[in-house]
Amino acid sequence: MNEEEQNILYWDGLRKGDKQALFQLYNNTYFHLVRFGLKISPDDELVKDSVTQLFLQLWDKHGRLNEVTHVRAYLFTSLKRMLLDKLACHSRTDAAIIKLQYKEEDVELSYEEIIIRVQHDDELRNKLHKAMEQLTPKQKELIRLMFFEGLSYKQVAEQTSQSIKTAYNTIYNAIKSLRTILK
Amino acid sequence: MNYPGKKTGKPLCISKPRLMDIQNYKVEDIICNESFQRYCLGSNKEDIQFWENWIKDNPLQFAVISEAKHIFSVLNANQGNLPVQLNQLKDGIIRFEMLKEALGHTTYQHSEQPAQTRQTTHTQDPETGTRYIATGNHQPPTRRILKYAVSMAASLLLVLSAVYYYTRPSQTIDKAKTKATLAGTVIRSGNEPRKTVVLPDGSIVILRSNTTITLASDFNLVNRELVLSGEAFFDVTHHKDHPFTVHAGKINIEVLGTVFNVNAYPANANTETSLFRGKVAVSKNDHPDQKVILTPNMKLILANETTVSEPVKHNPFRIESMAVDSVSHKAREIAWVRNRLKIEDESLLTIADKLQKWYGIEISFADEQVKTYRYSGTFESETVVKALEALQLSYPFNFQIRKDTIVISK
Repeated sequence: MNEEEQNILYWDGLRKGDKQALFQLYNNTYFHLVRFGLKISPDDELVKDSVTQLFLQLWDKHGRLNEVTHVRAYLFTSLKRMLLDKLACHSRTDAAIIKLQYKEEDVELSYEEIIIRVQHDDELRNKLHKAMEQLTPKQKELIRLMFFEGLSYKQVAEQTSQSIKTAYNTIYNAIKSLRTILK
Repeated sequence: MNYPGKKTGKPLCISKPRLMDIQNYKVEDIICNESFQRYCLGSNKEDIQFWENWIKDNPLQFAVISEAKHIFSVLNANQGNLPVQLNQLKDGIIRFEMLKEALGHTTYQHSEQPAQTRQTTHTQDPETGTRYIATGNHQPPTRRILKYAVSMAASLLLVLSAVYYYTRPSQTIDKAKTKATLAGTVIRSGNEPRKTVVLPDGSIVILRSNTTITLASDFNLVNRELVLSGEAFFDVTHHKDHPFTVHAGKINIEVLGTVFNVNAYPANANTETSLFRGKVAVSKNDHPDQKVILTPNMKLILANETTVSEPVKHNPFRIESMAVDSVSHKAREIAWVRNRLKIEDESLLTIADKLQKWYGIEISFADEQVKTYRYSGTFESETVVKALEALQLSYPFNFQIRKDTIVISK
């Protein structure tokens, strides 16, 4: 059974009021949702809180939930709506930001933008920016797949059509050069 | 090429490493290890167990592991740790269900505002009744239930904001109903020397004896407002969108995220605001636009009208340095709350008992084994949370704050 098939089962369980099913669904989708959310807003605390709220809300209205065939897509849409509402609410004083927020609604942040903007410490941000500049596009791509998307070496190797060994070495060298600059 | 396998002629160490090998691992080797990555994400029980044990058994490698964790979290954009996040959800659901139960319950009395609290609850809608909690050891059991329910309802506002405020603003009936039920929660310290409460937003308040705090009916929904009569020490969590405001006597104190003490017993000649960390803006009720910004280690004194002499009337605010005790070099303003704890090889059970007595908050254990953890050392802390955090540094355990109880677990 793949993940999405499991999700449908958990969804049905949730509709019947099975709390464990809710937690299983959460375990299955948490990282997908957080990654998706981070592409909309680099405020990691806001994103994580919103994911929790989304599930609380699901639990609150579990008796009124409809059957859903694409559970993950449904959750993505709900999370996106919640995040955009909150961002609009947070920046009520700044009309320009709201405009930006809604106009560029479909523009996703890049991996580099996300990991830099998530950090609050200016010094670390600068260093990280510098460190990422040192990497080759290939290294950046592999780092993203492994650390952000959470793939295994096997999956990274498959996606980039190279051997596990090459993938490992590329990532290892990238980490080594990142580490010297981040120190 | 730099993978660890090459040097030793072994295959790539990408999955679970052999225990003895990790000793020779560099930070890079650890970060690149899949098992370590799963441990950081909390996505695999076996990996979590493995690395937790290894870290415990190799305290000397602490710096290496910390750096590896840090870099991992940077590259991972702080996605968080699955079990930690799941526990938050579970906790949220427990609170949510308690709230629902509390709202469905009809046995709580709605008492009219008692005369003595009327003056301190002037920001409230006069139509919403004020419910209050009295503390002390002489209460009949029914009052205890009331206390439990009301304080619990207060701690549930957070979840309320999650479920009702943000996501279903159109359902005003639900909102109005919950608002009315939670209106004006009052917390009283009674005769206890100190009473620690954790507010719905996570801020910690320690009430001195005979002190009353009234939370605004929409506390933590729109803003965080409360009325204080008496003396209290505040450690406020930072929340840029919800300003924290204390109304005390004739003054209003606006807070961003900070630690301060307010002495506002109605019987005293002065109202004093002492700031320890952060920044607060103080204004008088009748001149809300004239704000005085207070910087750390300063205190602001406002003479109460009855005792005011003519010249003071023109310049009601006085700013002074906090009074420093000549022996301890600590500010006298918070001597009542600061606890110097001296521990010599005592069990966590004994320590918890001491903390419970001093800070006036119940501490319980979810786990038998933790009770036997032993600690030594001397430390000073203003709040019970700070005290527990200090203990955690020396040997880790977890604690959770539920309602007005702290639960310690492994």
